[in-house]
Amino acid sequence: MLDLSVDTEAYDGFWNSEGQHLADPPGSVLSQTRLNLGIGYRLTDNWQSSLVMPFIWNDNEYAGFTSKTSGPGDATASLWYEAFDGITCVWQVNSLADLKPSIYYGLTMTIPTGISPYDEVTNSFDITGRGFYRLDASVLIDKTIFPWNATLQYVYGVNFERPINREYGNYIEPYEKNLGERSLATLSFGYSYQTDKAEVITVTLAYSDLTEAAGEIDGQTDQTTGLGKTSLALTLAYSNFKKDWIYKLTFSQADAGYNFPQTEVLSLGVSHVYF
Amino acid sequence: MSISKLMLLIALLSLTGCGGELDDLSPSGENMTVPVVPGSSGVQVSQQAIDFVLNDTLNVPLTLSAEYPAADALVLYFTMWCPVCDSHMGYMRQYIRPNFPNVSFYMIDYVSGSVTASRQAQLSNGYTDFSVMVDEYQQIQDLYNATMGTTIVIDSTGIVRMNEDFKDGVKLYETLSLLP
Repeated sequence: MLDLSVDTEAYDGFWNSEGQHLADPPGSVLSQTRLNLGIGYRLTDNWQSSLVMPFIWNDNEYAGFTSKTSGPGDATASLWYEAFDGITCVWQVNSLADLKPSIYYGLTMTIPTGISPYDEVTNSFDITGRGFYRLDASVLIDKTIFPWNATLQYVYGVNFERPINREYGNYIEPYEKNLGERSLATLSFGYSYQTDKAEVITVTLAYSDLTEAAGEIDGQTDQTTGLGKTSLALTLAYSNFKKDWIYKLTFSQADAGYNFPQTEVLSLGVSHVYF
Repeated sequence: MSISKLMLLIALLSLTGCGGELDDLSPSGENMTVPVVPGSSGVQVSQQAIDFVLNDTLNVPLTLSAEYPAADALVLYFTMWCPVCDSHMGYMRQYIRPNFPNVSFYMIDYVSGSVTASRQAQLSNGYTDFSVMVDEYQQIQDLYNATMGTTIVIDSTGIVRMNEDFKDGVKLYETLSLLP
């Protein structure tokens, strides 16, 4: 499967460490655009793999400063196991067995291919990645009783400690740094409508809660780090009769958080499945 | 070759083609700092700080060297009023400044572009208890090779004692503790 999507993320102030919303400096227009190229490959009946490579454009305008930069983002490589053999989607519930959900287990490695503060860069506007390897373990439980669908996903991630000897292009006395453990829970509900040509249009509403614990510097907790946000996303998807072309339009808005910018993301994507 | 394999090849090639911007794949802990001549003019630790004049958000011109005698040290923090900056400045206010009453703390705003806009950002972010210098044209940012979170400590003789990212504030605390 090939997947191509474009995300446009607009920034509108941020939540400080106490969850209070603060505005960006007057005259600021901050945005990031991401082009994501994804490749999925089914290894066996129950196993599939994927690789996603983003390319990022940062566009920052302040009253006295303009910056436009671009570069690769952090790549992700995933391996998923589908813990079911038959189709669990049903049209109606006639027995307890019809309530059996589809369960997926996944591992995702984030690879720091993006431009981080520890690369050969000169300022913070060049940044397109965080600079750390991270391993996420996921479990996704999905149940469809046509035309309704519900999904619950939980992701737990750990970063890998690394040495740092440079910050924004300046060599410094080396130290060890790690980011905090990450937790993401997402609950979504969807409704599908099938046309008389067997095309499917789906509307999904998702609620997500993301937290990242405080990181560490030389083994000591860094109290200035850690973040959290909750967000709502609305997705409209269309798939054709053969289900080999899928188009998606998603609008996501962060509605609360701490140590995190308030953002709105508009995402447009297309997937093609090669049978 | 199928389209999927071709795209995979392109993705893998893109991972290996960006030179020094991909050092994160194999990070180094080697100390690569270049020694400088102590007392020479510059922005590195042990050098004599390069002097400058900036207006604060009340339109009062501040000359860096003129501030030396009045304090044990000056702390310059480069802010763009972002979540990370707010976290650092809040930490300085709560945990560092109270322990060093004879140290002067200055935030350098290099994004607002005018005294008026910088004052507005200072007020809306709640930092009226800090002095904010306005680097309207990023001249001081360039001069000190600084960016968001860069923290500089200059002692009362004008010698740079620290010049690096704020990180967790431990290095700043240690540096101020070691002042004569």
